Amino acid sequence: MYSLLLILILSIVFPGIIVRIKSITAGRKGPAILQPMSDLIKLFRKDSVYSTSTSWVFKMAPIVSFASLIIAVLIIPFGSERGVISFQGDFIFFIYLLATGKFLMIIAALDTGSSFEGMGASREALYSMLAEPAFFVLFASYCMLTGSTSFYDMLHSLHFQSTLAIFLAFLSTYNLFQISMLENSRLPYDDPKTHLELTMVHEVMVLDYSGFDLALIQLTGHIRFVMYSMLVANLFIMPVFPMWLSVLIFAGITVFYAIAVGLAESFRARYKLRNNNKAIVILIPISILIFFGCLLIINNLY
Amino acid sequence: MATLFILLFIITLFYIAISGRLFVCLNLLIVQGILLFGVALYELKEINTVNLLIILLETLLFKAWFMPMYIKKVTNRNRIKRSVEPYVSGFNSILIVSLLIVGSLLLAFYLHNESLKISYLAAAFSGILTGLFIIVSRKEIIMHIIGYVVLENGIVLLSFSVGSHLPLAVNAGILLDILISVLIFGLFLNKISKTFKDMDISQLKSLTD
Repeated sequence: MYSLLLILILSIVFPGIIVRIKSITAGRKGPAILQPMSDLIKLFRKDSVYSTSTSWVFKMAPIVSFASLIIAVLIIPFGSERGVISFQGDFIFFIYLLATGKFLMIIAALDTGSSFEGMGASREALYSMLAEPAFFVLFASYCMLTGSTSFYDMLHSLHFQSTLAIFLAFLSTYNLFQISMLENSRLPYDDPKTHLELTMVHEVMVLDYSGFDLALIQLTGHIRFVMYSMLVANLFIMPVFPMWLSVLIFAGITVFYAIAVGLAESFRARYKLRNNNKAIVILIPISILIFFGCLLIINNLY
Repeated sequence: MATLFILLFIITLFYIAISGRLFVCLNLLIVQGILLFGVALYELKEINTVNLLIILLETLLFKAWFMPMYIKKVTNRNRIKRSVEPYVSGFNSILIVSLLIVGSLLLAFYLHNESLKISYLAAAFSGILTGLFIIVSRKEIIMHIIGYVVLENGIVLLSFSVGSHLPLAVNAGILLDILISVLIFGLFLNKISKTFKDMDISQLKSLTD
């Protein structure tokens, strides 16, 4: 339960920090930290406008996507706290919950009948498909390392004594960071600021949403971002840490994460669309490498 | 610690497979040389100073300094195009190289016994296979040399994987081989650039008697 609360609380300030960092690096003062949230509240008060060519799928998609994300968050443990939903093999359930939300968004985009949205949906599907093996192999190697298939047991019995293990932790942090940038449609894979439909990936997919639904989609994005930072934080939080220290580490990692995203978005350009595939598929061999490292650790061969 | 170097070595292999720039590949060769030096230092620290000196010469001086610098010089002098033109696209190359590396990992685990170090063996096979793959999948002659050097790095790792049993003479022989080949390639390039502007080997197809 703690994980849900913490994620919800930090997702209030998370987008604000990114926007603030971006404005500071651009030499502006920037909006208040809570400005994105008040924008969201304004959107929540508005009604949605639906195109006549859409069906119930289009209306259902944001809600299902939001709900599946919340359930996924409930699975994640925090420090010594077990997640609300916890069973053997729950990490597979976790990944497929996220995939369900994404799938609904994709077919909702196809439902509008707009060619632009179909294009965005196709790109989103391709990128998720390429990132999924990396995510699976990453967590499978941790399963193998700890001998358990539930998030809690996996993270509970994970500890890093050797330099190799610490190196592997950094590699997996890198991989998780890249996957989260991809899943949240951020630079360098996708630019949230882009205003040309032909070059958008995620934004073009949700082009037809307005009002409440748009707010829900944006909120889902913010929560998903903080959820990934919780996953990364869990790699570094030991179960023996007291609660306040765990919360501090999580908050620190999340703020650091937001700053990193803000800096990345201010200083680097987006990949060309045709190079995106190449950049994403590189995550798979890195995961395989982590798997190999774990194999060496288990067999005591390093 | 040595395993860490090995993992970094495998990462450089991925990078070489995906990179579209010649100079990135050359810089990666420098990184590989330094990593090999780290591995050698870690592996052979109880062996005498002469051995250590030879390894220093082989990895740092030759692999990380002389060879990349020489290739860079040749590239600059002959105004060779600095983008890599593969027959196989970057996306497919990375998939193929991953498969090769997974294959070599499996092979290394299959061959596992007391006198062999699995991580070295795996990295060695992946280096050799990736080097061969780079040679067959790139159009430029310079990339062929780079593939050759990567292959040689793999062979050096192979010699580490069997401990210090591999005679130094074998290593020195391979080293001499590479040295001569790189020098010959350099001369070859210098000569060829007088006749042809481009180093693209697909032009050789149009040669007739």
